Amino acid sequence: MSFDDYKAVIDEGDTVILYLTISQIYSIRAEAKTLSKKGVEVENVFQTPYGALKCADLIGKPYGSKITLSKGWGYVMQPTPELWTQTLPHRTQIIYTPDISMIILQLEIAPGSIVVESGTGSGSLSHALIRAVKPTGHLYTFDFHKNRVELVREEFAQHGLSDYVTVSQRDVCSSGFGDELENKADSVFLDLPHPWQAIPHTLNVIKETGGRICSFSPCIEQVQKSCEVLSKLGFQEIQTMEVLQTSYSVQTRKLPVLDLDFLKSEKDGTETKGKEREVVKCVTAVPPASMPGHTGYLTFASLPPVWARSLQISLNQAQEDNSPDL
Amino acid sequence: MDQNVIKVGDFVIVQRQGYTKLHKLKAHGTLSLGSFTVELDNIVGEKYGATFQMKNFPGNRKLFTLEKVDEMPGITSINIEKSGLDNRNITDDGQSQNLTTEDISKLKSEELNSNSIVEKLINNSKTFNSKTEYSQEKYIKKKEKKYFEYVQIRRPTIRLLATMFYRQDPSKTLGIRIDDLSQILTYSNIQSQGTHLLYDSGTSGLLPAALLHQLGGGSPAHLIHLHPGNECQKSALVAMNFPPEQLNRCINVNLYSVLRCYYQQKETFDDPPASKKMKIEEGAVPKKPNWQMENERACQLLNKGVDSLIIASKEHPNALVSQLAQFLTGGRNLIVFNQSREPLQDLYLHLKEKLDFIHIKIVTNFMRNYQVLANRTHPEVNMTTGGYILTAFKLK
Ligand SMILES: C[S@@+](CC[C@H](N)C(=O)[O-])C[C@H]1O[C@@H](n2cnc3c(N)ncnc32)[C@H](O)[C@@H]1O
Repeated sequence: MSFDDYKAVIDEGDTVILYLTISQIYSIRAEAKTLSKKGVEVENVFQTPYGALKCADLIGKPYGSKITLSKGWGYVMQPTPELWTQTLPHRTQIIYTPDISMIILQLEIAPGSIVVESGTGSGSLSHALIRAVKPTGHLYTFDFHKNRVELVREEFAQHGLSDYVTVSQRDVCSSGFGDELENKADSVFLDLPHPWQAIPHTLNVIKETGGRICSFSPCIEQVQKSCEVLSKLGFQEIQTMEVLQTSYSVQTRKLPVLDLDFLKSEKDGTETKGKEREVVKCVTAVPPASMPGHTGYLTFASLPPVWARSLQISLNQAQEDNSPDL
Repeated sequence: MDQNVIKVGDFVIVQRQGYTKLHKLKAHGTLSLGSFTVELDNIVGEKYGATFQMKNFPGNRKLFTLEKVDEMPGITSINIEKSGLDNRNITDDGQSQNLTTEDISKLKSEELNSNSIVEKLINNSKTFNSKTEYSQEKYIKKKEKKYFEYVQIRRPTIRLLATMFYRQDPSKTLGIRIDDLSQILTYSNIQSQGTHLLYDSGTSGLLPAALLHQLGGGSPAHLIHLHPGNECQKSALVAMNFPPEQLNRCINVNLYSVLRCYYQQKETFDDPPASKKMKIEEGAVPKKPNWQMENERACQLLNKGVDSLIIASKEHPNALVSQLAQFLTGGRNLIVFNQSREPLQDLYLHLKEKLDFIHIKIVTNFMRNYQVLANRTHPEVNMTTGGYILTAFKLK
């Protein structure tokens, strides 16, 4: 129950983020028992590189505190959507925080917003969407994969988020989003292999006062098809972008300085003896040796309010041809 | 009151093609849009999202009125008679257009109609027919944009404001680009709860507006907005037309004056606020100036601890973090933005030494936009650079 509101202390059943080092971050549950792979109830013990942790011991510990392990220590954090994205069990490809951030801002989501999402996948984006819409808004999320729907629904319940989200199993390309959502949504998000098949259905769910749409696609061909459909259906401000994040680690490096002046005078055997090698300290920000060079293209567009929909003015800058002359 | 109706007193965004302008709507006001002066009376009472045509004012070449359009006359596609296969015979000598600048400005003042102006430009171009089809299309688009006679009236949103400010001048928002802003909002874990502390030395109100938007209407959440001057920058805050209830939960206070208040009247903030209220009602104490009331309101909240600390400053961040981190509750996030990396490197090393922060990261983004058109999809020719964000988690 640890995703809603800011908490001070770990309660039984909370999902807790265990921080060991910047690259060793895990999510665990503060519960005495857990089910083993065979479905048998066993003691909930989490194995870390620094020793085993009895998860029941976490109950009552303040968030942000240090916990001791047999061969070291760690810290416990209250989960945020960002930490969840970093630690969640992958059932599909997921969307990461830099893209998620852009999606939420561009879709203009705030408390009270009604948001429609498909596919749910592993629920990485969903958690951030829920944080942004609660407590007065709602997320309706669709996936056609039965198992994924069930698992993510269970996670939302464990995280205390069920009131703010409805998960449905449905093929949105063939069946749309259902009559109950007609003209209800402020924004729609699509992460599907064939988004252009779902886009026509979004016309039914977006509010009469208009709304925003986003489609996330790894391949440029998908983007082209989506943009074509969006523009045919009267969406405006169609814009495609990518966001790639680099994270730096700050290091102080000691660089030796070469003294070459001594070469000017004749050799007498004392040049190198007893001389401290001079070093210069240099603070550097080091990017990782390798990092993601591509996640996906984000395509955004606006559906104008009904009273403006028939007007086919292309207000869309991005549509303009700025290529060098062929 | 219908939120969708344009009213006097509203802040509106006037959009002409890709160009946008923020404007406070006054009765009988005008707006200058590029080389045009536009009367806005006719948009009052219409709905947001509506489109208007700029019509020349009889007897005044420079003045335009707006007329609502419900149907497009169907932009007649300009007939292209001939196209060249490639551009081998085209030289740009600046002599290809027969119309003079005066001719064109006369056309403009007769009737602003991009379609007919572009047609005349084409008819008077010596080289148009030998351009390739692609170049012709591009030429038409470019000229149409210049003489485009339609504007749209939109309600300001954080997205539109962030984009507009950055395009006008990145220094308006201390260099915060839309991707930076989006990540400041997620990493701070801001939501419709808690108290949030912001120090902002000048983002034209964009950061407080974006944070307040995320706190939502009718929620118990507060934003304490510290600023260095007498008055805080408010453009985006007022542009968002927030309801008073929500705007009131953004407490704008001067950094020095609120800290002085905090240190020098500390004991009083532990009082249950009820007894204070009583006193005021009885009229026993003389009414304090508004800024002092706001300081005390901020201090009451600071005293309980805040759920995020966000800093976007022109000043070096170390001293600010040293002072303000005391208010950040353990287990919550610190977010510091800077246009350059070096101040954040200093802060990174400072935090590493202090031992009460973990999960310290500095990130920056590569963001680019794409032109997506059949057979002509490519990254946009120009791109911009964003800033740097340091995030850290405070221990208990
Ligand atoms: C890449 S995953 C989405 C990941 C998700 N955005 C996240 O961040 O965790 C794509 C999902 O779409 C679902 N899907 C594919 N086609 C669908 C359709 N036609 N209707 C509903 N869901 C579909 C798949 O089952 C899969 O779970």
